[in-house]
Amino acid sequence: MPPLLEVKNLATQFTTRDGIVKAVDGVTFTLEAGETLGVVGESGSGKSVTALSIMRLLQEPQGKIVSGEVLFKGEDIVKMNDSQVRSLRGDRIAMIFQDPMTSLNPVYRIDRQIGESLILHKGMSKKEAFERTVELLELVGIPHPRDRARDYPHQFSGGMRQRAMIAMALACDPDILIADEPTTALDVTIQAQILELMMEMQQRTGAAIIMITHDLGVVADMADDVMVMYAGKQVEYGSADEVFYNPRHPYTWGLLASLPRHDVDEKTCLNPIAGQPPSLINVPPGCAFHPRCTYARPECRVQTPRLLNVGGGHLVACPYSSEESPEACGVLPRGAGAQ
Amino acid sequence: MLKYVVRRILQMIPVFIGVTLILFVLRAPGVLPGDPVRMITGERGISDALRDQIIQKHGLDQPLVTQYRLYVQNLLQGDLGESYQRGRPVTDILADKLPNTIRLALVAIVIEAMIGVGAGIISAVKQYSFSDVLVTLSTSVLVSVPVFWLGMLFQIFFGIKLKEWTNGAIYLPISGMSSAQFPDWAHMILPAITLASVSTAYVARIMRSQMLEAGGQDYIRTAEAKGLTRRAVILRHQMKNALIPVVTFIGIDFGVMMGGAILTETVFSWPGVGREIFLAVGQRDWPIVMGGVIIIVFLVMIINLLVDLSYAWLDPRIRYGGAAK
Amino acid sequence: MTEERHHPRDHRIDGPTDVGGHEVRTEATTLPVLPGDVHAYDTQGTSSRTLWGDAWRRLRRNKLAVVSIVWIIMIVIMTVTADVWVVPLFGDPLAVNTTPGSNLQSPSLEHPFGTDKLGRDVFSRVVYGARVSLTVGVLAVSISLLIGLVLGALSGYRGGLTDTFVMRTADVFFAFPYILFAISLIAVLGPSYRNVFIAIGILGWPSIARVFRSSILSIKENEYIDAARAMGASDFRIMFRHVMPNAVAPIIVYGTMSIGGAIITEAALSFLGMGVQPPTPSWGLMLSDAKSLMFVAPWLTIWPGFAILTTVLAFVLLGDGFRDALDVKMKD
Repeated sequence: MPPLLEVKNLATQFTTRDGIVKAVDGVTFTLEAGETLGVVGESGSGKSVTALSIMRLLQEPQGKIVSGEVLFKGEDIVKMNDSQVRSLRGDRIAMIFQDPMTSLNPVYRIDRQIGESLILHKGMSKKEAFERTVELLELVGIPHPRDRARDYPHQFSGGMRQRAMIAMALACDPDILIADEPTTALDVTIQAQILELMMEMQQRTGAAIIMITHDLGVVADMADDVMVMYAGKQVEYGSADEVFYNPRHPYTWGLLASLPRHDVDEKTCLNPIAGQPPSLINVPPGCAFHPRCTYARPECRVQTPRLLNVGGGHLVACPYSSEESPEACGVLPRGAGAQ
Repeated sequence: MLKYVVRRILQMIPVFIGVTLILFVLRAPGVLPGDPVRMITGERGISDALRDQIIQKHGLDQPLVTQYRLYVQNLLQGDLGESYQRGRPVTDILADKLPNTIRLALVAIVIEAMIGVGAGIISAVKQYSFSDVLVTLSTSVLVSVPVFWLGMLFQIFFGIKLKEWTNGAIYLPISGMSSAQFPDWAHMILPAITLASVSTAYVARIMRSQMLEAGGQDYIRTAEAKGLTRRAVILRHQMKNALIPVVTFIGIDFGVMMGGAILTETVFSWPGVGREIFLAVGQRDWPIVMGGVIIIVFLVMIINLLVDLSYAWLDPRIRYGGAAK
Repeated sequence: MTEERHHPRDHRIDGPTDVGGHEVRTEATTLPVLPGDVHAYDTQGTSSRTLWGDAWRRLRRNKLAVVSIVWIIMIVIMTVTADVWVVPLFGDPLAVNTTPGSNLQSPSLEHPFGTDKLGRDVFSRVVYGARVSLTVGVLAVSISLLIGLVLGALSGYRGGLTDTFVMRTADVFFAFPYILFAISLIAVLGPSYRNVFIAIGILGWPSIARVFRSSILSIKENEYIDAARAMGASDFRIMFRHVMPNAVAPIIVYGTMSIGGAIITEAALSFLGMGVQPPTPSWGLMLSDAKSLMFVAPWLTIWPGFAILTTVLAFVLLGDGFRDALDVKMKD
């Protein structure tokens, strides 16, 4: 049986007035049912574009998938025509976005928006869709769902709106749920609730989740596998355990080292990664991270690193990292520190 | 929503008062150069006795405040004064002209709404295409065109030249509201199109920019992510959001149109309030001029208020206002 | 034969190297510049620093705006020098010619636009008419700017009661359809050239005040004003150095387009007989005459109207160009 989702060497580019933006440059991963993939990286690292590419939601003609395959149950989404892609969207693969206030249409009621995919993909009548909507709203924890379903988005609070979005995404029982920074726009207390809700829904429906975030804490909680992205490139990919306790890419080291730690004196300075992420129009030659890498060698400027398998499916885009030591930049020593 | 409605009506009141003040100031002695009696009677020479009578009747020798009070009283009673040149009350003269103006304006609004909205949608959806460039350029051009000149060109082309070229077979009426050769509605065609032309350009422009703005919103992305067809996304999600401000613009544009009406009616000899004002200007018959202006101004204010209120009804954020629970 | 091979290490630049040829690293380095590295220069090859410099460059690239500027300059030159070249070639715009048959002539070499009902050359009247239109346009907008900027600034910067009062007054002005208000004003003042631009000027202040006020309001909220204040700058200095330059941009745009609007309004008023009085040539007045002669001499309609169209269009497109050039948000 083919894997649920298999992405091979996906590359997406945008054509702008100033040049070609290589938003995604060679991403490869596999996702099975019930699994959660965490995609981490700074703003502009290409995480969101990867998700949009999977769903073919790019703005054409500026945005284009230039190479690679996205195999959903064995069929390549990249090669599908518009009508086939549309039948997948919302039905088999669903997406929720960062800001629930702007992601919901302010002039339509909640039940109408949730019902839209039910009517479109499941052929339900308006009445059936309404009943199912009420069920869904109850499932995601919205009180008085029958009344609230007739409300407009602005009448919901931020957390409730995100719950409604989750309900909308799960309406047709999709195989994959892509969540693009779902908690970034919410209060910290609500964040935890929403994440718990998502995990609960996953248990219930068996869907796979792709969780895009810049927050390592969120990933640590939820992800089975982790993919680290930098400047549009995939720099590390492996199981969550591997990536967190045996990180192999200098960028991942930097990320982990920059986390504030509670076991250290608060007067110790934080360790950010020096420098700025590069412009995706002028990606540095060779390894994209080399200008900021403490361990960069002359070779790094010239050779573009390929993903190397360092054991058990753990992929790293740095040929020299095994020669260097993560302890040197203050990252957790191997095997130490459980949750 | 009730709060919104009440608030808007309350806001209207000072504007209303302000308008009457300005209208009064235009006529009052001493504030602006000019003889107030002349404003009331027109340029015709009048006898001293009549002059005294007028001063008495309108309290022109009284303090300004009293005069203002009298003026507003008269206004509220619908008394717009009398045209001494024609010997009839202004209200009488204008009363049966008003429906003609309104009729013309309504037809123009329908034209403007349909063509403007349609053109705006098309040009936003097919950005940078030929139709988009056409709309963008033509709106700039139409805005720069003097409406009355456009009307005259229509007259020359459709009324005179077309008649010449087809030996009298095909042409359009270019003046008046009715005639022997044509059904009444045919007379409305050219004036309505002329009246609508500049406004249509504005509507198309605004519709286009509203569509583009709505198109960039996140909820459009959500709709696409649900698997809707492009057409469904545009018509159901993008358009509804874009239409709301456009509808209110069309309503407000009514006021501008009323101003343009005087020019169009003059060119096409359409018997409406605008044309009366024009003729009165020629005669220096100021009471009719001011009376016509007053009627139109109040009509516009009422329409603006209605439009404002309709906005509250159309936008659910206001209609069901209220914070999140 | 020995081949020359380039080892990556040979591409090193200045910087201390150790024995093995590796460059010695210091903390948080950025690599030195290699020849051929691409840097982000803007397309001209110069890095532009100022807002105005940038805007000017963008404006120059906008073809429609450039054409508009050229056209406006041409009109101005043509009309200012009209005494020199128009009169000898085509005739005095005011010269009434009573010779029978010399009036209402259709266009010819001698009279490119024909003659009007009093035998006057239409072309020269059109050229001279530009004087009226341009003067009224500029003067009227100047008056509106004068009133509007002051009131808008007061309203925006002071806020409170001043703001409410000014804005309510503006609302009252907005309640009147523009042309009707102008007609009433002129009805009281008496139709004349001077009263036309006074009336248009007086009626134009609310729009300008509103635009200016909203610029000021949005800038006032900006944090860099707080920063300036925290540095000890006085209110006045803040207004001048920080608020003004940013608030000016929309005014330039709106002012330019208003000139176009003023020209059309003058034409409309003259058309209705409430503007410039004969025999001064005004495009609107010429159209009014043309109307009654439409069946007999249709060509009289074309040129004055066309003159209005092109002149106003130039100002509108120029205003559009200013807007595109000055709109920071659209900067790519």
